[in-house]
Amino acid sequence: MMKKYSLRMVILPSVFLLFTGCAHYIVNEQSQNFDAQSGYRFESLDPGANNSDSLFVCLMLSGGGTRAAALSYGIMEALRDTVIRVDGREKRLLDEVDCISSVSGGSFTAAYYGLFRERLFEDFRARFLERDVQGALAARVFNPVNWVRLASPYFSRIDMAAEFYDRDIFQGATFERLQRNGRPFVILNATNLGADRRFDFTQEYFDALGSRLDLYQVSRAVAASSAFPYLLTPISLKNYPVGEGYTAPWWYKNAMNPKNWITERYNAAKNLSAYLDKENRYIHLMDGGLSDNIGARSVLDAFDRGFIRTRINRGTVNQLVFIVVNARTQSEDRLSRQEKPPGFFTVAEKSATVAMDNYSYESVTDLREALYARVQTQKDEQACVELLSKYCPRAPKPIPFASDIDPYVIEINFEAASQIPGEDPRYYLDLPTSFKLSKEQVIKTVAIGRKLLHAAPQFQCMLKVLAAEAEGEPRPEACPVGAGIFP
Amino acid sequence: MAKEYLVVLFPRNRRVMVNGEFMGTTNRKLELESGRYEVTLGPPMNFTPDAQDVDLRNTSSLMPMIVEFEVAA
Repeated sequence: MMKKYSLRMVILPSVFLLFTGCAHYIVNEQSQNFDAQSGYRFESLDPGANNSDSLFVCLMLSGGGTRAAALSYGIMEALRDTVIRVDGREKRLLDEVDCISSVSGGSFTAAYYGLFRERLFEDFRARFLERDVQGALAARVFNPVNWVRLASPYFSRIDMAAEFYDRDIFQGATFERLQRNGRPFVILNATNLGADRRFDFTQEYFDALGSRLDLYQVSRAVAASSAFPYLLTPISLKNYPVGEGYTAPWWYKNAMNPKNWITERYNAAKNLSAYLDKENRYIHLMDGGLSDNIGARSVLDAFDRGFIRTRINRGTVNQLVFIVVNARTQSEDRLSRQEKPPGFFTVAEKSATVAMDNYSYESVTDLREALYARVQTQKDEQACVELLSKYCPRAPKPIPFASDIDPYVIEINFEAASQIPGEDPRYYLDLPTSFKLSKEQVIKTVAIGRKLLHAAPQFQCMLKVLAAEAEGEPRPEACPVGAGIFP
Repeated sequence: MAKEYLVVLFPRNRRVMVNGEFMGTTNRKLELESGRYEVTLGPPMNFTPDAQDVDLRNTSSLMPMIVEFEVAA
């Protein structure tokens, strides 16, 4: 009897250890060689037959669970159905999209379109939007079979979620497929908990990690981007020595001068240096919304020192269009109508969301102001040239930019539903942040996306300007340069 | 966010390379963040000097920093 008992005491823990020891998150692979011309970076992507640089379009898809994914989907449908004429060719506005920066719920739509393109409009609703993803994740967590795996310190709820996304939504696709598909460049944003900073699943970051992005599952990147704190756990990456021949991005050289510590270039260099510091052997990532819930910061980086800046300086961009799809909600302010101070849970919720909402607002405002500053500079120079021509014709003229740009910032948010007849913004502003919406909620959220886009005065201006250009007509008076930012 | 302005003068139309990156062409105004950069031109290599280090700051669009290259003898 004693012998049997002892045997059990040995076998059961051994089996338990065997199973838990086996459960480990998927580790990103090391890269032996660095190649600046390949990998998942904007410069190495095929633009596609219908994509011109002269009309440069970037989408920013915010977080907000299935609500955000559905609103983003509605915008993608509307862009698909908008026909424009550029460089003498008729095309869909969707084909002109050059980059998509996304966070959390928005990352599902962005990644699915990046991987499967037109299939987004065929099966994404059934595969994700109209599905109880939350329930499916909970069922896995509460399944006793998985408890053994979850007991491992190297396997957690997020890994289980990533497995589900990989099998049921993204079908095992890696970044190699995103790269093969060409533009748009999909930037999936997460937050590095160690460095307290944004992390992009792009080659630039993986080069610094000395790792191969092409072999990494897109599902894990989306899981990191949408790993809501407390409900889910971080996605971890290994930081290897950089590949043979590694060179940092062009803007990094001389950027770490402590004299310039207040500049954004210094800050960006400091961000990258966190990965080049090989003492940081592991990177732990959570919801991109913790560092930027709109996805605007990676686009701002591209505008300041990335692929958008180089194209502006080379003179290839005419219209620069940013479409911000912001699925932010806002419950009615009942706190200000009651004498009793708010309780613990209300304060906890506000602590998590107030800073994030304000930062998101500031990010879009920064984007608008940066573009408007450029418009004002262009107008100042035109005025200067006119005055010189009139009063001092022999004086040298200012040296021009490679080309003037005509910028647009089109923000889609639920508050604007008040401008649409028959729509009540409260319906959308009260939608929950979860991975489960009713079919009716999905249908209405998808539909409002299209209506909000078409109601946006900046979007209308862009269409009128493109139509006038296509017909060889003068620019519409109602849409001067700059009206695409502040109508 | 704040931008500085740089113009690279050369008698011919040539690519401008900033820290090794193709950043536009000569005799046109470029917008960059402030700080130190190495500026040179694209091929053919018939220009002098080979490269110039600049500390880009305190410019305006009407008063950009001017960097000149000459055709090599």
